[in-house]
Amino acid sequence: MLSNVELQRYSRHILLRDVGGPGQHKLKAARVLCVGAGGLGSPVIEYLAAAGVGTLGLVDDDRVSLSNLQRQVIHTTANVGKLKVESAGERIAAINPHVNVELHPFRLDAGNIEDLVRAYDIVVDGTDNFPTRFIMADTAYACRKPLVTAGVLEFYGSLTTLMPYEADANGQPNPSWRCLMPKEPDTAALTCSEVGILGSVVGVLGTLAACEVLKVITGVGQPLIGRLLMVDIRDMGFDIVEYYRNPASPVFGQA
Amino acid sequence: MLITVKLFATFRENRFKEARREYPPGTTVADVATELEIDHGLIGMIFIHGRAAELDRVLDEGDVLALFPLLGGG
Repeated sequence: MLSNVELQRYSRHILLRDVGGPGQHKLKAARVLCVGAGGLGSPVIEYLAAAGVGTLGLVDDDRVSLSNLQRQVIHTTANVGKLKVESAGERIAAINPHVNVELHPFRLDAGNIEDLVRAYDIVVDGTDNFPTRFIMADTAYACRKPLVTAGVLEFYGSLTTLMPYEADANGQPNPSWRCLMPKEPDTAALTCSEVGILGSVVGVLGTLAACEVLKVITGVGQPLIGRLLMVDIRDMGFDIVEYYRNPASPVFGQA
Repeated sequence: MLITVKLFATFRENRFKEARREYPPGTTVADVATELEIDHGLIGMIFIHGRAAELDRVLDEGDVLALFPLLGGG
């Protein structure tokens, strides 16, 4: 049940066609795992908290540094040196005290990820590296959890939503992460700390990722399943590229 | 043979978004990247008609090839 205070807080959702009271109840019941409380994670966490997602799990082993603050807007100057999950948790409490926050101040690895993913309904990827993305995508697939995944660099970003354990309207299995990238890159990917990033780019991609999470929870509209959104902030262009299940792609990491 | 090449993110800079280009039979994805002076190590995803492919894949007439750089930051 939503209290009177919650009905007032979420009134613009409750008024919104296709969301309404039933959608708000789904949001309150939802448990979302946010992997990474950095650039992408900042708007993801803030918008999901404000929207009234009932439980947010935050995973990050990093601490807030001064060079984060140009884009990781959930953190403040006063919180430099603090664990990012604690800093983000404080912000969630300030935005919306109705949200239950679960802090996981460690790095995801093969040994701890499965229990964590199983404990949530949806996973949203705000990580800064491919090894974690591969573990996360394979585990979300194995645990039959939706994964909203984004990546950014310089002036660019990408976003897609994965539910490979389901089929499309024609009965064809949805594509998996490994239909995008069959195996981990041979070379280490460039990072924001090496080539930089325009601060607001993570705001755009993180906010779009939050939209996808809210859509998946409420069932509103069509998520980016089998569609890769490519965002070009440099020349301001948005492209959607359709992609398909690749029978030759390895599943669960086995080639 | 005619191939449609689509480039994304940094690969578009000083190149193009989409172009139909003529290549000899037997051309691979790697050959196209080399001709476009794209560092193979920077390529993150390769799609041919929306399906993931490898650098050594030989292209066919009419293929739509899309090349994406690694966008690994978060």
